[in-house]
Amino acid sequence: MSGKIGKHIAIYGKGGIGKSTTTSNISAALAESGYRVIQIGCDPKSDSTTILRGGNDLPTVLDTLREQSKVRIEDISAIGFGGVLCIEAGGPVPGVGCAGRGINAAVEQLQDLKVFEEFKPDFVLYDVLGDVVCGGFAVPIRDGLADRAFVVTSSDFMAIFAANNLFKAVTKYAPSGGARLGGVIANSLQAPYAKSLIDDFADRTGSRVIGYVPRSLTVAQSELYGKTVIEAVPHSDQAQVYRDLATFIDRDEDAVIPRPLNGPELKKWAREWGDRIFEVEAGVVHEMGSI
Amino acid sequence: MSHHIEGSRNSCALHGALQVFEAIEGTVPVIHSTSGCGVQHYLGGTRLSGGNDPFGSPPVSSTNIREKHVVFGGGSRLREQLKNSVKVVQGDLYAIVTGCSIEMVGDDVPAMAKEGVDQDWPVIYTNTPGFRGDVHQGYQLALRALIEQLPGLRTESVAVQAGQVNILGVIPNQDPFWRGNLQEVARLLEAIGLFPNLLLGDGQDVNSWHQVPGAALNLVLSHWGEQSARLLEERYGTPSISLDGLPVGTAFAALLLQVTEKLGLDPERTNGVIAREEVRLRQQFARLADIYYRTGFQREFALVGESALVVGIGEFLGKNLGLLPRTLVITDNPPESVQKSLAARLGSIVPGFDTKILFSEDRSEIADVVRTGKAGIVLGSSLEEDVAQDLGVPFLAVSFPLFNRIILERGYAGYGGAAALLEDVGSVILADSLIHSV
Ligand SMILES: Nc1ncnc2c1ncn2[C@@H]1O[C@H](COP(=O)(O)OP(=O)(O)OP(=O)(O)O)[C@@H](O)[C@H]1O
Ligand code: SF4
Ligand SMILES: [Mg+2]
Repeated sequence: MSGKIGKHIAIYGKGGIGKSTTTSNISAALAESGYRVIQIGCDPKSDSTTILRGGNDLPTVLDTLREQSKVRIEDISAIGFGGVLCIEAGGPVPGVGCAGRGINAAVEQLQDLKVFEEFKPDFVLYDVLGDVVCGGFAVPIRDGLADRAFVVTSSDFMAIFAANNLFKAVTKYAPSGGARLGGVIANSLQAPYAKSLIDDFADRTGSRVIGYVPRSLTVAQSELYGKTVIEAVPHSDQAQVYRDLATFIDRDEDAVIPRPLNGPELKKWAREWGDRIFEVEAGVVHEMGSI
Repeated sequence: MSHHIEGSRNSCALHGALQVFEAIEGTVPVIHSTSGCGVQHYLGGTRLSGGNDPFGSPPVSSTNIREKHVVFGGGSRLREQLKNSVKVVQGDLYAIVTGCSIEMVGDDVPAMAKEGVDQDWPVIYTNTPGFRGDVHQGYQLALRALIEQLPGLRTESVAVQAGQVNILGVIPNQDPFWRGNLQEVARLLEAIGLFPNLLLGDGQDVNSWHQVPGAALNLVLSHWGEQSARLLEERYGTPSISLDGLPVGTAFAALLLQVTEKLGLDPERTNGVIAREEVRLRQQFARLADIYYRTGFQREFALVGESALVVGIGEFLGKNLGLLPRTLVITDNPPESVQKSLAARLGSIVPGFDTKILFSEDRSEIADVVRTGKAGIVLGSSLEEDVAQDLGVPFLAVSFPLFNRIILERGYAGYGGAAALLEDVGSVILADSLIHSV
């Protein structure tokens, strides 16, 4: 999109995989190094930016639609750590209405409010709910809203499955001006095989892993304080991991159209990994490729 | 397989359901959808079916949902609208019909209807988004809602006369002659001692529907009533007689005999009625004889309309009046199995004569096949008037949509319908012959 203000980045991934945590820490790290950052939670749970702003209440963009009142940017945003502008799209209560259409309406509302023109961000990060379940949740990567999409995954098969689905959505929309894939963020790494499994998946799908975030108590601890790791424990190794991620996203703008696996391919790939992991657990001494 | 349809004459399911509820006196339809659905109903449905349209703007209650109802759900809007409707219009029944947007969002409409019922309001609902089907499915869905939900609203028992016959399968406005057709069916059934329950139209109200379970017979006048008849048979064991086509003229005699046998009526009385009607019809034929030969009445015809109408009028013109069915087009999309039997039946109206049969609702495809087939007269909807003009032959508007006929009482069913058809077909042929003799 010409005349777009700032770099727009969408972060996807299976529910509960660590999208909001990772996005908030990246936002914090970018802000820390002097950038103007907006983080937009595209999730009816409206908890994307919680750890950036100490957990205070923040009216969502869609609340304004419900009330049909004239709103100002100040009413639906909060300044969080490092000056990050925090916005939550909001949505219906579970089981009612159409959250997907909500994302659409919220984004339109933000454009009407000229948020980007006013705030002049260097970065806009969209933290988008779970799987790309319907057209509504593809809005940030469709329409040329975001230039790049990243996907957060662990080594769990369901997380990989969700990542593969996002690749499908990117493949569908990228040719007509939608976002391309910046890469995979490996999160909550614990198992010995996790890194090689995610590497292998990225490899097979023509993608790449841009950072490995270990599973760490520091994250849980900071969350309990209502803070990002960057804010709560700035000198920790974990904070450095997030800073490295932010730096990568800032400096390396490569983005591709991935090659998602189809159903049978994905199943076959998973089964092969199942066998390998089983052999490791069973203690079979075996030269295990990259493990 | 999806394909493009031009100038469709089949509106959506929501409109089909509305057409049913609007034909039951004392029923207040409540549209739960965007505002365009109700407007479209007025512009596309009611106004193009022989007059009978409501005065002024469409007086239908509608939730007119907006984006916020899509995002957050439209349940509370419906609750509010239902409450307002009950306050403003005194109804015997409030019927919620839903449109596309609300069904995409998945509003819990049954729960809202139940809330109404819990407050002692007579409320039923039916889910009729356009993507569930066209006007015919809407008709079926509305009838299903009435059959399944009305018994739960009944507070006292309803007395039913012995020999009551429910009439099913006639879709208000989709058949512009629906009132007249129902009246004629009623006249003839009454003549053999039965009590027809027309269910839709003048004088038909919610109580008529409460009487449905007690009927001795369900008479189904098109494929579109069969599902309801099946439901009623499952629930109440009511037998039914199903016709593929509207019985026009002598075809009605066969129906009367079939009903007489099924219900064990007095055959002598029935035969008396038939004899009287047949005499009248023969006299009418005789009076038409001069014009018949003078104008070259006997000619090939093209007929376009819903299956029941094409069968009914087609057989009357072909078998009783000596015209030749050149092109028959069925526009109501009956299921494939029904299409097969219809094609077989229509193909043998005049044995040995090659009849082109097409199932289509596409205006240009229909025009093409009528034009290619040629004919000496075209009967169809107003959408076919152009092609008749191209062919330079007389045209009679008999099916929906009708732009330029007022239909208050006229019908083509039964013996009365046969006379009306003789008058109407005769008139356009006569008028045409005058133009050509000048
Ligand atoms: N690297 C990590 N180490 C330890 N805990 C983590 C890590 N990443 C995320 N978590 C924890 O996992 C939980 C879920 O994370 P988060 O809310 O960021 O996920 P999400 O993908 O945004 O979830 P949702 O789909 O529900 O929005 C949080 O309690 C978070 O603290
Ligand atoms: S097709 Fe859907 S949107 Fe259109 S009038 Fe029918 S219910 Fe309404
Ligand atoms: Mg989240």
